[in-house]
Amino acid sequence: MSMNRRDFLKTAAAGSGALLASTVTPAFASMPKELPPQAVGILYDATLCIGCKSCVVNCKTYNSVSGGALYLKDRTVSYDVNPAEPYWDAANELSSKTLNVIKVNKTGTAVNKDSVENGYSFIKQHCLHCISPACASVCPVGALSKSPVTGVVTYDKDKCFGCRYCMIACPFNIPRYEYERAIPQVRKCQLCHHRFEEGKYSACCEFCPTGASIFGKVLDLRKEAQKRLTLKTGDDYDFPVQTVDSKEKSRRTVSKYINHVYGLKEAGGTQYLLLAGVPFEMLGFNKNISEDVLPDLTWAYIAKIPAVIAAVLIGGTATWAITRKRNKDREG
Amino acid sequence: MNQKDIKLFTPFTVVLLVIMVVGGLAAIYRVFFGLGVSTNLNDTWPWGLWITFDVLGGVALAAGGFVIGGAVYILNWKKYEPIVRPAILNAFFGYALAATSITLDIGVPWRIWHPLVMWQVNSIMFIVAIHVVLYTTTLATESSPLIFEKLKMRKAFHFVEGIMPGIALFGVLLSLLHQSSLGAVFLIAPEKVSPLWYSSKLPYMFLVSAVMLALSMVSFETILSSRVFKHKPPMDILLGMARGSLIVGGLYLILKVWDLITGPGIGRAVNGSLTSNMYLLEMILGIILPLILLSMKNVRTQLNGIFTVNILVIMGTVLNRLNVGIISMAEYNGRMGYDYFPSLMEFLVTMAMVAFAILGFKISVKYLNVLRLEH
Amino acid sequence: MKELEEGSMVEETICGFSRRDFLKFCSTLAVGMGLPVGMGATIAEAVTTQKRPPVLWLSAQECTGCTETLLRANHPTLEKLILELISLEYHETLLVGSGKQAEEWRVNAMKEYKGKYILVVDGSIPVKDNGIYCKIGGKTAMSLLVEMAADAAAVVAIGSCSSWGGIPSADPNPTGATAAHEVLKSKGIKTPVVNIPGCPPNPYNFLSTVLYFVTFKKLPELDDQARPKFAYGRLIHENCERRPHFDAGRFALQFGDEGHRKGYCLYKLGCKGPETFANCPVQLFNDVGSGAWPVGTGAPCFGCTEKGVGFTVPLFAPARPKYLTPPSLFTEVYPHKEGVSPGVKALAAGFAGAAIGAAGAAMIGGLGKKDIDTKDKGE
Repeated sequence: MSMNRRDFLKTAAAGSGALLASTVTPAFASMPKELPPQAVGILYDATLCIGCKSCVVNCKTYNSVSGGALYLKDRTVSYDVNPAEPYWDAANELSSKTLNVIKVNKTGTAVNKDSVENGYSFIKQHCLHCISPACASVCPVGALSKSPVTGVVTYDKDKCFGCRYCMIACPFNIPRYEYERAIPQVRKCQLCHHRFEEGKYSACCEFCPTGASIFGKVLDLRKEAQKRLTLKTGDDYDFPVQTVDSKEKSRRTVSKYINHVYGLKEAGGTQYLLLAGVPFEMLGFNKNISEDVLPDLTWAYIAKIPAVIAAVLIGGTATWAITRKRNKDREG
Repeated sequence: MNQKDIKLFTPFTVVLLVIMVVGGLAAIYRVFFGLGVSTNLNDTWPWGLWITFDVLGGVALAAGGFVIGGAVYILNWKKYEPIVRPAILNAFFGYALAATSITLDIGVPWRIWHPLVMWQVNSIMFIVAIHVVLYTTTLATESSPLIFEKLKMRKAFHFVEGIMPGIALFGVLLSLLHQSSLGAVFLIAPEKVSPLWYSSKLPYMFLVSAVMLALSMVSFETILSSRVFKHKPPMDILLGMARGSLIVGGLYLILKVWDLITGPGIGRAVNGSLTSNMYLLEMILGIILPLILLSMKNVRTQLNGIFTVNILVIMGTVLNRLNVGIISMAEYNGRMGYDYFPSLMEFLVTMAMVAFAILGFKISVKYLNVLRLEH
Repeated sequence: MKELEEGSMVEETICGFSRRDFLKFCSTLAVGMGLPVGMGATIAEAVTTQKRPPVLWLSAQECTGCTETLLRANHPTLEKLILELISLEYHETLLVGSGKQAEEWRVNAMKEYKGKYILVVDGSIPVKDNGIYCKIGGKTAMSLLVEMAADAAAVVAIGSCSSWGGIPSADPNPTGATAAHEVLKSKGIKTPVVNIPGCPPNPYNFLSTVLYFVTFKKLPELDDQARPKFAYGRLIHENCERRPHFDAGRFALQFGDEGHRKGYCLYKLGCKGPETFANCPVQLFNDVGSGAWPVGTGAPCFGCTEKGVGFTVPLFAPARPKYLTPPSLFTEVYPHKEGVSPGVKALAAGFAGAAIGAAGAAMIGGLGKKDIDTKDKGE
């Protein structure tokens, strides 16, 4: 045994110092918590939605092009295909080929629109582009990342190695995986950010005939949503169509809303906001989702790691030295 | 028993080989044709048997390496020296098993190296990845004296043995961090994981249960190998570990019960639902029964008693990992999404992994001086 | 023949019909084309006040099915109406005369109504070997088409054969069967052409187009294949009454099986509805009510109107949908009942069983036995 205690202590101290330095995580490495300045998003008003699914179809059409979130070299439009049989089945659920889906919730005889009693309501499910996205925070390689300008949570297929942690982390169960392919990707709505350059915006909003889905700056959408909650049921209102600041309006009677804008605070706030006439839990939103910023829950543990490293290295070395001496004393 | 007497091609070994070959074929099929046709994983259940059993369970079962390594090299409890080599070797195979499983489970296996160069420091999985790579290397280094001894490379042997305390300390550090990190993986999903298991203390619970499991696993392996390779089991070591289990198990019980009482409350655990029944089973098999048995002197000092407790703890702790990984999320998932039951290939690959670990250990015992048997 | 409505006063008749019935007919046609209410009266007016527009009908490589289909327009009975609504100057099957007289009549009609007559073409035009494979009165169909189209006000290609080639143009197309508009284009004839494909097409598609032309002096809105949009603007798939079965994945797998008898979607039997433009599910055939179209009777559509589908793609090969259309089905937000799904339940039971089994065996086998006495080892 060649090394003496002094040398070992020196080595250990040096080693632990080096380790500490390399693993120190700067404060700003934790996830963003504020809305980016140019944050854009979508406001969905379930009371205006008629379930035509134009948004579902156009989302697929405009995302199947190069740069889009559904793009694949060997296909032109993303039909939902049962891999066991190469036929087309209708999009009934978010999937590796469906980024946006309309579903319905029915109670009783389901004849009254947006009513809890014997009623039905539509819901448009897609990525909510959280302000502090859990998916981006858990991605070990940063394949999912939030744009610091627009706030869109985008996906880099070249970084992703398929751990699927994002699917566990997302409280809304949004990311879907291409299990049917040998080299799979994660698929989720990316707000049609590939169209922003051309001055276009999300296809679902562009093709929504009733203004149920409108695109715009999140701050403006929040204002519009909160304004609608102050309107009187039964009054007429000129709902903007396609974008929140659009000149084109659709005059409709105001329905009874649940007095809550979903996405203002949930999961730390999202850029996809929703209004509805029935409680959001009926529309598939897990009732256990709180206002907690999810990445913080993990960060609370990670932030302790440097201290643990230091403590174990120092304490361990000390223990080793002390117990070795004690053993030697006992023997000698 | 002599090393020469160890027969390698017993019927049991042949069975293991067959399982490995079949599982290997399944693994090749998975790599070429994707997860969809080889597993039953889906969008509601992205993590299944491979993650919960092979990875979470495998890593927990391999905790013996750092516990015994730490006891022998840091705490200088030389009493446990005779079992440090098998403990570390078993841990090495356990981690190799876990690493191979995770390579197969990820969507693009040949990109397994990505987390090592693409860093996203908010992600627990990134930390786990770095640690697993470092720790497997550490275990390999800690096991290298076996190879050096066999190859009669004296200088290398003495060098590694000399810095062993440093390596062992590094191993303890890494293990502490990633055993608890695997628990921290689930911190991000409070709305999905049942409150019976979800807690901000989940990382610490994983760590303590890993230590408890380590003691039982090493004890189990020691007793088993003494029966298989026909040598006397080291009773003082086994008794020491049994005592240690009692203490660590007691700590774990306190942690879990405290969390239950201050969290969802006892009522949630006894309401007869599937999740609460699985929780109770895990608690009874993995902690309560073992603690009761360990507290009885005539059980704790008997070889058979110790072996029984070992099996209980192993079953209970592996069950805990399966519960956290799958069962805890079953209630919400059931209403919304798809169903999951592992496919045949998932079982085949898992069995092949376990067979590989067992066979690897046996081969090592035959050709390397693991158990310090006579030559 | 004067037909009086029962119980009515003696009414004015038009072409043997009561004015009311005639107006009803025109309104039906107007509605079928998607024209506004009131257009029926306009059409009636146009038809009865003008001199009956002349129509010459050239038949080339045809089976006479397209003429037959017109004679199946049932109410009111059309033989009279058609023959008096338009002035059918020349039609090889329906003409009374034949031979030299027929051809002379044709030439005279062309001269008299030059620039005013509608030329209806059915059957494809063979072009190989200078078009010798179809001759009428010693002249090739090709040259006749060119000659007749040059002086026509408009050309209406009725049937798939004249619209895109149809069955004679199927592989290997030994006669070089070609669509009418392609022949005309190659010869530089600029007369507007409208295609009414189908094998045979719904007679009302043809009638509505002709009446529209007569009333408004222009052709209705056409798509990029010169087909009127009111009839060929949508895929059959979009209007099919079995669409909910398609969306829900309920398919007939064999003729006569349970799914077939329940009226499930015929996609898996090779229905080409998703890639065929036509209004068959809406217009139906023979005026006998719902279900009177191929799919409705359980026969998969084979894409008779569509170039590249009908007589080209195998009958039972699955169709390739031309574009996405929204499904008519909605998924429920919560498709399952509360509780754990069966597979996961089974998995839990499996784990629990294995764990309990192993633990039980260990406890039964291990406890109480005194294997190695350790008392002398001390604590």
